Amino acid sequence: MTSSAAFAEPTGFPPLSDAGTPEHLQGKIVWADLVTPNLAGAQAFYTGLFGWVIHDIHVGNTGYAVASVDGRPLAGLVQRTIPPGEQKQSHWLTFLAVQNADTTVRTAAADGAKILSKPTTYGHRGRQAVLAGPDGAVFAVLASSSGEPGDFLAAPGEWIWSTLLTQDPDGAAKFYQSVFGYAAFDLPSDDGLQHVILSSQDYARAGINSLPKDSYHRHAHWLNFIRVDDAAAASAKAVALGGKILVAPRLDRHGGHIALLADPYGAPFGIMEWTATDSQTEPK
Amino acid sequence: MNHARGLFYFAVILGATACAVTPYGYSGDGYGRGYYGGTYEPYGYDYGYWGGDYRVGPPLGGERGGFRGGDPRAGGDGHGPGGRGFGGHGGGGHGGGAPSIPHGARGGGGHR
Repeated sequence: MTSSAAFAEPTGFPPLSDAGTPEHLQGKIVWADLVTPNLAGAQAFYTGLFGWVIHDIHVGNTGYAVASVDGRPLAGLVQRTIPPGEQKQSHWLTFLAVQNADTTVRTAAADGAKILSKPTTYGHRGRQAVLAGPDGAVFAVLASSSGEPGDFLAAPGEWIWSTLLTQDPDGAAKFYQSVFGYAAFDLPSDDGLQHVILSSQDYARAGINSLPKDSYHRHAHWLNFIRVDDAAAASAKAVALGGKILVAPRLDRHGGHIALLADPYGAPFGIMEWTATDSQTEPK
Repeated sequence: MNHARGLFYFAVILGATACAVTPYGYSGDGYGRGYYGGTYEPYGYDYGYWGGDYRVGPPLGGERGGFRGGDPRAGGDGHGPGGRGFGGHGGGGHGGGAPSIPHGARGGGGHR
């Protein structure tokens, strides 16, 4: 039998944080992996758009690169070939912090999730697994070896928000509450579509939204947002770099603009302005 | 004889597991020799019509909303104590509405 311990710890994975928080931040979204058919092209796009510094690392036979902002690693980029004749969707995979990946996987499976990749330890990063929730949305869990990055306002170029678009917000809320212990809040909406906030440690960690009306992209999926100073300028820059605008910049609940973009290989992601000051947000 | 048969079944199960492919594009080939197998999704990214009231971002904090319960501080992963339906620890979100994202400046003397 193949020993996972003999193979499953490729070198090169950096710790999630050099200065991890001593407090485990259960349910915090701490990482994202891009699966792309063109690693070099994706690196050029995201470096040009967000100023990410990207380094290739050695991970067995897989092309993998780690992106950082100001020395803080925040994302991985994975090269996967798309077989000729197949249409596949490049995608960002969302990682949620857990204390114990194995326990979480068992709990999630008992609640209806499918295990897509069993818990595996990767270098200094920690132990992670990939799952699909009962609605089919793919996500990963990560028990970081170095704790989670602290709860600071995301800098431009860093992940600031994530939301799950799903046909079944109620079912999803129950699932993620059960597995991750989130508190959940229904936010008011005039369009009849649901918007649920998942929180932990008294911070909003993620949202759950009904899929937008008339959406062709009907399967449930996570969508991650990167903070930018100017959503319109970033959108224009993305297009100049070969990307597409999926949803043009528009005001959102927090008073800043958001937009949905796709990189040149089709992976969708969001950008979000955040201009609120401490005085505008509820003090803790 | 029984031992040989057991080994045969074990080998069959092991082989089937190693070759398993899911609708999500994952496969066993990622284990051991590299990173996990991949996360391609069904093709397409038309996000349809986002009406003026369609909101996906976080609240600024304190926005009134229905509290569904849950408190991760009372439990760990999964079905730990307090993982379902617990509320009211008064940390800032439950009584006053949905909380916002972390908004403290980095390096400001603590992570909140």
